[in-house]
Amino acid sequence: MSIKINVSALHHYTDGQQVVEVNGSTVGQCLDHLVKQFPSIEPGLFDKDGKLHSDVDIYVNEESAYPEELANMVKDGDELHITFLIGGG
Amino acid sequence: MFTRDELERYERQIMIKGFGEEGQEKLKRAKVFIAGAGGLGSPVAMYLVAAGVGTIRVVDHDRVELSNLNRQVLHWDEDIGKRKADSALEKLRKLNPRVELEAIAETITEANAVQLVAGFDLIVDAMDNLPTRYLLNKVAVERNIPFFHGAVYGFEGRAMTIIPGKTACLECVYRGRITPKEKFPVIGVTPAVIGCIQSTEVIKYIVGIGELLTNRLLIYDGLNLKFTELQVAKDPNCEHCSHLPVKSKQ
Repeated sequence: MSIKINVSALHHYTDGQQVVEVNGSTVGQCLDHLVKQFPSIEPGLFDKDGKLHSDVDIYVNEESAYPEELANMVKDGDELHITFLIGGG
Repeated sequence: MFTRDELERYERQIMIKGFGEEGQEKLKRAKVFIAGAGGLGSPVAMYLVAAGVGTIRVVDHDRVELSNLNRQVLHWDEDIGKRKADSALEKLRKLNPRVELEAIAETITEANAVQLVAGFDLIVDAMDNLPTRYLLNKVAVERNIPFFHGAVYGFEGRAMTIIPGKTACLECVYRGRITPKEKFPVIGVTPAVIGCIQSTEVIKYIVGIGELLTNRLLIYDGLNLKFTELQVAKDPNCEHCSHLPVKSKQ
């Protein structure tokens, strides 16, 4: 299944790609596939126990995947957004 | 009623369909509280003052530093070392002497937040940290005051409008999470974009036109010049707003 992940906030780790195509039937599997393609992205997303960092938000088709982000089911054609908490002003 | 000078000053916005003198009168009667006179607070205050919001209170406890000047356009080289409240007041008064302006050099805390916003119709979040944003969100929700959120980092920004009891609040979306208190990267055009979006929302709310940025988190990506809207919803377990009776959606 082909899922698109918008990774514009992480494009430094994806050779400048804003959108990366991945495979998976859950958000977790999609992120695993993303990490497999771009291993340097992993520390920015997950802690050492494999949990998403608290400042990371995942949206599936523009709706929040919280609270069980990684377990969310996805289907062919879905789009994920990865965003980070920001607080500057 | 407006003076001839006021009618000339606001002529171009009064011409907007759905705005008119009636909209201008609403702006004149409005009282807006702006939390922060920095990167976001500068454009927010400047455009609300220019638009003729009747009463504006700006609160900022900081002093102007050289490293502020790439983005905090209310403060100039000659202001380094001055209190931002004083520097802001000086410029804003020159921009539009008809606006009733007050600038307070205080830190917004749990002890004074309610008192600081008392009597104001709207609160604009132009802070530089999340804990104070949550405090203001809580006060806004409890006092039923619309709250206009904005935040920036580098070339990225966020904006969202919160109508207490009707729409998702900041706590619904961010759940009290904070970022490390550290110097954040930013280029001045980012808070300029986000601050103008916040001001646009404030003006629309007061005048009663257009569709507000509610239940939508707007993500601005300046590097790719993209705006993305993410849907957000009221959290039934939200610590700030779940106790409020649900009103019809904005």
